[in-house]
Amino acid sequence: MDWWTEPFLLGLQQRALLGGLVAALMSSVVGVWLVLRGMSFFGDAFVHGVLPGIAAAMIAGFNPYLGAAIAALVMVGGIELIHRQTALKEDTAIGLLFVGMMALGVTIISKSKSYTGALTTILFGDVFGVNEETLTTMVALGLPVLIGSLLLYRPLLALSFSPVKAQTLGMHPRFTHAALLVLIATAVIANFQAVGTLLVFGLLVGPPATAALIARTVPQMFVASVGLGALAVWLGLVLSYHLGTAGAATITLVAIAVFFLTLAVSRLTGSAREGRAHRAEAAHDTAEGLA
Amino acid sequence: MSTEWLAEASGLALGYGGTVAVRPSSFAIPHRQVTAIIGPNGSGKSTLLNALAGVVRPRAGSLTVLGRRPGGRPGGVAYVMQSLAFPAGTPITVREAVGMGLYPKIGWFRRPSASDRERVRSAMDRLRITAFAARHLDELSGGQRQRVYVAQGLAQPHEALLLDEPLTGLDITSARSIDQIIHSERDHGHAVVLTTHDLDEARAADWVILMNGRVIAAGRPSEVLTRRHLEDAYGLGSLHASAGPFFDDPHIDEASAREHDHSRHAHPH
Repeated sequence: MDWWTEPFLLGLQQRALLGGLVAALMSSVVGVWLVLRGMSFFGDAFVHGVLPGIAAAMIAGFNPYLGAAIAALVMVGGIELIHRQTALKEDTAIGLLFVGMMALGVTIISKSKSYTGALTTILFGDVFGVNEETLTTMVALGLPVLIGSLLLYRPLLALSFSPVKAQTLGMHPRFTHAALLVLIATAVIANFQAVGTLLVFGLLVGPPATAALIARTVPQMFVASVGLGALAVWLGLVLSYHLGTAGAATITLVAIAVFFLTLAVSRLTGSAREGRAHRAEAAHDTAEGLA
Repeated sequence: MSTEWLAEASGLALGYGGTVAVRPSSFAIPHRQVTAIIGPNGSGKSTLLNALAGVVRPRAGSLTVLGRRPGGRPGGVAYVMQSLAFPAGTPITVREAVGMGLYPKIGWFRRPSASDRERVRSAMDRLRITAFAARHLDELSGGQRQRVYVAQGLAQPHEALLLDEPLTGLDITSARSIDQIIHSERDHGHAVVLTTHDLDEARAADWVILMNGRVIAAGRPSEVLTRRHLEDAYGLGSLHASAGPFFDDPHIDEASAREHDHSRHAHPH
């Protein structure tokens, strides 16, 4: 029993767990829409695209949340500009901004005295450095993300189905897409200081992708995603304590490992279920054809 | 009695980005009748359907649907896109997919009323998909999925149903269900506009629009599906292998041509 509770005896360990759980809750919910919209590459680019804003804030001494928000705006504006002004596909625009913003971030950080330390902090965060102020900011930014992800259920479901269909159903796909970008940006900005941009992306994609393997509806996907996100945070911190590994990276690894484990189990059990479903379907069609 | 029009276009031009899909065309589509839009691949059939649904704005000219700008009237048009246009992986059951048709009425937050839920049930019954209601879309065949999307259109409050190639590549059960819906919609006073590659489907409609980068002809099948128009749309000699008769064929009168249609069609008008 001590093996499971020992990693959370100290206050800083408990705050790390709490911060991780808040990040998991926020990211796993908005991540469901990110995965359903097929925007994982955008998400990856986005979490790295905020790097120059945070780096500039660290060096110039202004609020890193503000720096990340400005970088996010530049990133989205750049993608839209390329998309509208050229015939290039959106993934090319995302790729250009991804690598450009990442390079700019590293260039800015290279001017700092502790180059490696600063880069590691931004990418991997400092989950054990979570204090009450960080937690308050995370909750304050996280609540609108959670509420927005749920309030926009119908427009986002229709948009995931098809932007054209969403338009014909009166669900305002352009506004909905812009709102989703704001929700993703807010989740990234809210969480990067505690858990790092890498883990934010891990939580945005890992638990929702795993949930997609087992859920039959989007509400089920939300529940499974949050549960899996929380599991990854808790198990990741336990393992990192006993193995002496980096907390955020271990949590990310657990989230991805759970995906492959679920994939293997669902394929083993799912093939039998699909066989039964297809036989029932064939019988139903035959009966209809005979009627 | 004067014809009641679903849509009226004057000098209508349509396109995407730098591509012109439909050159300036003027035509009308009657209300409460079945209209088939026919033409070769890339002739602008789906673009015209998108314009009627309000998804594509006119580049030039004017287009009105039910007397207004397309897409500007809630409850006017329900658009059923090709089933291939949707990602099969969205975790959504058949019942919820059909229920999405209620969104224009219930908006972002309102709970569906008992009559709304009955509307969904009725749409599923009409398409014979009630047995699949709890099934995931990913677990259905292509024909069953197409029936779900037509049911979604029926659940949506509408006066006109737009169908993009609704019968292409379907199994007999699914094609028969959708064919019955097309005719029962007209019997209920709704307009149906569908795109097709099949000359027989076009001959069985009340009204035909023949396209190839523009509207070549619009009117009754007997006026539109003539050898001259079809050669204009598909190219000279390309139709020699067609099994169906032409309405202006000197060897066949219109009555026997219609008889031919009805013998091929599951539900004659």
